[in-house]
Amino acid sequence: MLKRAELSKSPPKANSANFLKIVDSALAATTAPSFKSLLFDRSRSLKELPAVETCVMTDRRRINGPPGGTRPPVFSSATVTTAERPQRQRQPNELRKIFLKTGLIPSASGSSYLEFEPSASLSAARASPKFITPPSSSLKLACTVHGPKPLPRSATFSPNLVLTTHVKYAPFAARKRKGHIRDASERDLGVHLETALRGVIVAERWPKSGLDITITILEAEDDRWWGDAPDSHDAAWGMMNVLAGCITAASAAISDARIDCLDLVAGGVAAVVADETPDGTAARLMLDTDPAEHQSILSACVVAYMPARDEITELWLKGDNSKAAVGTTDQNLSHEALIDGAVDAARGAHSVLAEAVRESAMRFAGLSSGTA
Amino acid sequence: MASTTAAAASQPAAPSLALPPSQFARLQPHAYLLAHLSPPASSQQPSIRANGRAPSQFRVTSANTGSLTHTNGSAVVRVGDTTAVCGVKAEILHTEDIASWSVSHSSSSPSNKRRKLTNPTEKPGEDREDGSKDDEDDDNSYIEDFSLLVPNLSLSTGCAPGFIPGAPPSALAQSLSHQILSLLHSSRLVRAEDLEIWYQRPNFGAEELERHNEGEQMDVDAGPEAEEANLEAREIKAFWVLYIDIMIISLAGNPFDAAWTAVLAALRDTKLPRAWWDVDNETVVCSDLVSEARKLSLRGLPVASSFGVFEADAAAGWRAVVIPDAEEERKLAESERKGIQRRWILADPDGYEEGLTQERVSLVVDKTSNGKVKLLKMEKNGGFAVDRKELKDLVDISARRWDDINQILQRC
Repeated sequence: MLKRAELSKSPPKANSANFLKIVDSALAATTAPSFKSLLFDRSRSLKELPAVETCVMTDRRRINGPPGGTRPPVFSSATVTTAERPQRQRQPNELRKIFLKTGLIPSASGSSYLEFEPSASLSAARASPKFITPPSSSLKLACTVHGPKPLPRSATFSPNLVLTTHVKYAPFAARKRKGHIRDASERDLGVHLETALRGVIVAERWPKSGLDITITILEAEDDRWWGDAPDSHDAAWGMMNVLAGCITAASAAISDARIDCLDLVAGGVAAVVADETPDGTAARLMLDTDPAEHQSILSACVVAYMPARDEITELWLKGDNSKAAVGTTDQNLSHEALIDGAVDAARGAHSVLAEAVRESAMRFAGLSSGTA
Repeated sequence: MASTTAAAASQPAAPSLALPPSQFARLQPHAYLLAHLSPPASSQQPSIRANGRAPSQFRVTSANTGSLTHTNGSAVVRVGDTTAVCGVKAEILHTEDIASWSVSHSSSSPSNKRRKLTNPTEKPGEDREDGSKDDEDDDNSYIEDFSLLVPNLSLSTGCAPGFIPGAPPSALAQSLSHQILSLLHSSRLVRAEDLEIWYQRPNFGAEELERHNEGEQMDVDAGPEAEEANLEAREIKAFWVLYIDIMIISLAGNPFDAAWTAVLAALRDTKLPRAWWDVDNETVVCSDLVSEARKLSLRGLPVASSFGVFEADAAAGWRAVVIPDAEEERKLAESERKGIQRRWILADPDGYEEGLTQERVSLVVDKTSNGKVKLLKMEKNGGFAVDRKELKDLVDISARRWDDINQILQRC
């Protein structure tokens, strides 16, 4: 807030020479620390530029908004109070429908598009919109696979296929506008995805080659219901659903690119949620949770699972469910139960995945017979 | 040159050629397309592009709007295999965050006010006319000066093998973003008044002024005077800023048309919530009700159509672009007379054709309600083949394309 106020004092359209002059005067007055850092970075050589400076530099290649910055809209509380938290209409072990299609991007060697079925509240809101703020959102992402292709000359020798994963949110994917440069959570997703897939691909079949997997998230899952205040114990729960979707979509795209795999790996999410019911708070295990539908999520788990081999290539467990487990002495809320739940969810996703891959294979067979 | 003519000549003897067409297309792209466009007279085949389209035919286009939850407006447009997703997200720019606002506007408005105060007998009607004219002028300058429209196009989505994800925007992406920005500005598609958030000051001061006036001169019509004061009490407190982000999900030639159509469809879909200045909180507050939100009223429907020029002479692209050779032009004219076409203008080139064409033409046209075609942008580069006559034909083709796009956008 302070920074913005300071920035707004400078004329926005100053050219570089002018700008530096203003910065100098600002420095003399020693009122603007933000300017000081800017000037400091500029005088440095290109090699030792910190991350902040690269932001500034890449932003020059984009069209930037107003220099003073903009604020996301704030909605009046008069109408917000009438909005209600969306309710989960599914059974605890019922998954959302998944739409998965391969081969939508012809220039890539493999591609897939994945979409979760909108939850009941969202589809109701779509049908007869009352509020501008949607109650929840459903995952939509596109995945492309380029390769296997030769590694660049500069790369060192690798006896295996070198896997590169890249996950990026579209700027309009989340409730809050995302930047153009990958942030920490997006890098994190990329690393998780890479571990999930590395165990599946038979990498030694392609020495000295690389495989690029790129995922663009067009619409992400919410981390919590928008009406809830940000809580100290809430985490990026939506990210786990996104990761599960990424794993399933990437698996379909890799098979679409005809890369040898051990099995079709599918992603699944389960969570222990605590919702307030008329008779107190009850912790329950749910599959494929939409974070917007629950008051609080105690812990969640996402797995990348290969059903045919009964192996897990990636496991990510977040949160603390010890309290819930102790309170009820219920074995159904232990970590093992949570992981089993996630595996069940992955099994469900696998059936959709197998269907999509079959479709892709049919298309390939048709194509090859057509040209031969 | 020799090899291409040989290849073209060997095309009739296709059975002897052991390569399947797809491989031939990769090895000899130019000869492949040429053979399609100028089939030997004996084969009885029509001249058609390698992708099965007629030269002036566009790819199948489809559009879908409003499917992204977190946007104010969104659209997915597919032109053949090129897919563009556009999302519009609106944020608020307070005038107090605009550095030049206080300089340019508070300096002008007090003088205005002073003038009015010192000269209360001045006809208010005249003044308002002035004001409205100013608004019209401001219209563009607001959007441009405060960059209220922020389009960014991203190609690093894995849409084509050449673009590395995570890398800064490529030259193509940068140029496309700027083309879209300049077209948004020059076509004046979005009205500035749609983006303004006004604040009406409560009317205490005005009454006082009125009373004061009454004391001075009794018979001044109080109605317009009060209105005038009202007008003065209104001020712009904030602007909506539209972040227009375009993700090219799949790239197979002609990204500009797809991206622009997506922008157009998304802006048509965009709804802005009702917003007002909250005095107590000193901030802009919006209403969450859809019933109070309003759509943007866009100026017209500019539709982009791009063309590429394919030359039968494969070396044409290699030669340095100089003044067209009189000798060659004569030859071309001669072959034209003989009925041999040496040059094709291909509408909506796909990725394969884009690699084979040097000269590009891009037109943006709009049609008024009485069917008059307005030309909003014309860009041509890379050669001399398209002349006045050809451009006229292209404008006609673009006008027809306008009808198609209009129908497609009406439907979604």
